[in-house]
Amino acid sequence: MTEPLKVLIVEDEALLAMELESLVEEAGHSVVGWATSSAEARSMVESTDADIAFVDIHLTDGPTGVDVAHYIGEKKRSMVVFMTANPKRIPDHFAGAIGVIAKPYTMNGLTSALRYLQEGMRRPPPVSTRPAGFTLSPAFEAVWAPAA
Amino acid sequence: MDWKRTREPDDAWHMTDDLHVEHGKGDPFAAAIRATRMSMIITDPRRPDNPIVFANEAFLRLTGYERHEVLGKNCRFLQGPKTDKSAVEHIRTAIADNADVSVDILNYRKDGSTFWNALYISPVSNHKGEVQFFFASQLDVSDRKLSEHRMTADKDRFERAVKERTAELEAALEAQTTLLHEVDHRVKNNLQMISSLIIMQRRTIKDEATRHSLTTMLERIEALSTVHRRLYQSKDVSRFDVSDFAKDLVTDLLTASGRSGIEPKLELDPIVISAEKATPVALMVNELVTNALKHAFKEGPDGTTAGRIGIKMSQPDGHFKIEVSDDGVGMAEANGDASFGMRLIKSLARQLHADIEWHDAGPGTKVVISMPNEQQQKRTLS
Ligand SMILES: Nc1ncnc2c1ncn2[C@@H]1O[C@H](COP(=O)(O)OP(=O)(O)OP(=O)(O)O)[C@@H](O)[C@H]1O
Ligand SMILES: [Mg+2]
Repeated sequence: MTEPLKVLIVEDEALLAMELESLVEEAGHSVVGWATSSAEARSMVESTDADIAFVDIHLTDGPTGVDVAHYIGEKKRSMVVFMTANPKRIPDHFAGAIGVIAKPYTMNGLTSALRYLQEGMRRPPPVSTRPAGFTLSPAFEAVWAPAA
Repeated sequence: MDWKRTREPDDAWHMTDDLHVEHGKGDPFAAAIRATRMSMIITDPRRPDNPIVFANEAFLRLTGYERHEVLGKNCRFLQGPKTDKSAVEHIRTAIADNADVSVDILNYRKDGSTFWNALYISPVSNHKGEVQFFFASQLDVSDRKLSEHRMTADKDRFERAVKERTAELEAALEAQTTLLHEVDHRVKNNLQMISSLIIMQRRTIKDEATRHSLTTMLERIEALSTVHRRLYQSKDVSRFDVSDFAKDLVTDLLTASGRSGIEPKLELDPIVISAEKATPVALMVNELVTNALKHAFKEGPDGTTAGRIGIKMSQPDGHFKIEVSDDGVGMAEANGDASFGMRLIKSLARQLHADIEWHDAGPGTKVVISMPNEQQQKRTLS
């Protein structure tokens, strides 16, 4: 059994954060923090030791999710996966993130994405098929899913 | 008349003016030049400041001056404040080089009014090749210039108007795009919240039947979510790629069912339908695939189920055809009409003007849906 993931949730919508937390825990991982703004996210990146952060683009202080991703990328502590209803706002270079889970995701889509990410982070490249609604950044595509 | 006098002294032109009409009368060329309606002058570059030594009637008529006012003067008195400096420079260089020159230049009459002068100047040399005179003709082309100006002005005005209108339309499109993205964003977030609410509620429920019905509801809402995740992904917002959607939906439903023994068989031609049809088509496919998953396959003695679910989408002769098939137990024992799922499928089919038929596939069931799919008009938002 591969080691479970420690997850930081950066999401301004309480309902979605709550449900995401349940799904993450049901899948056997743990949630180490929930931030609703970029400032909160920054301090939680310092105070927690998350393996992976799920980052919404729209936070309580505006479309600051990409900045959060940059910040986490500089700290080199955890990986980032965007989770947004507006994937077009993600810059081409993905601010160093692994990829994006497009909202609205299905329950199975999220569970599969968690499995895929766990495989990719613990024993890359991932072996399970990439779930619908999950897109890899170009940089990770090259490493995790090179064209055969 | 003395027709033999064809050779003139070098300063013949000058003399014709000096000697008044009598002398010129004897010379047919001089007479012609005097009388022509084309304005003409001759200047003498050997004298200081290249003065006019001859001017015909037409020149005087054109410029409004008397003969004595122009003779002995350099032509520059025809220039004025609005005369183009570069045109003047052009003439000056040509004269300095003893070359021909042809320019349109704005000139002034004695009364201060202006006219466009299509000026042509050429040097006249003697047999030794020395320039004796400059011969200049003037043609009033004000009318042509005016219509040229009008045309340029019209063209400029038109181009400006087109530019303004284009900018307006681009701004309107931009606003519409922003609005669409905003609404799209909200719809997606709300769908996510609805499914979150259902999942949360389901966790608290012990009763198996109620849980089951919440699961079915979640599946239906997630089918809508899958549509919306795929909607507006292409440049053309009015079109929806139904084959991409079907692949997402089927993989998702199959993995969610956890039944790895069931093999999906997808034959999906790339088919595009109008965005309004996306939701009913998606719901219909969702009902048929979940039905096959739920009802078609009996559990084997080892607790697993094996079988095959096929989805085929094709577009023969302009009709969009969907086939959902399984190799399960068949529907001989089903009493479908009263149940909600069947009613939903049939109503959606009516909405889409689709024909729907259930076939006994022996083994299993094959559902065939066929609907008109008219050519979509392109509407692009970025
Ligand atoms: N592919 C299939 N193979 C075998 N039986 C089927 C198949 N599809 C439908 N049925 C039968 O038809 C019945 C009616 O289906 P219907 O979708 O209306 O109801 P349901 O799936 O039982 O419930 P729901 O209303 O939630 O969809 C089912 O109960 C089942 O017995
Ligand atoms: Mg059903």
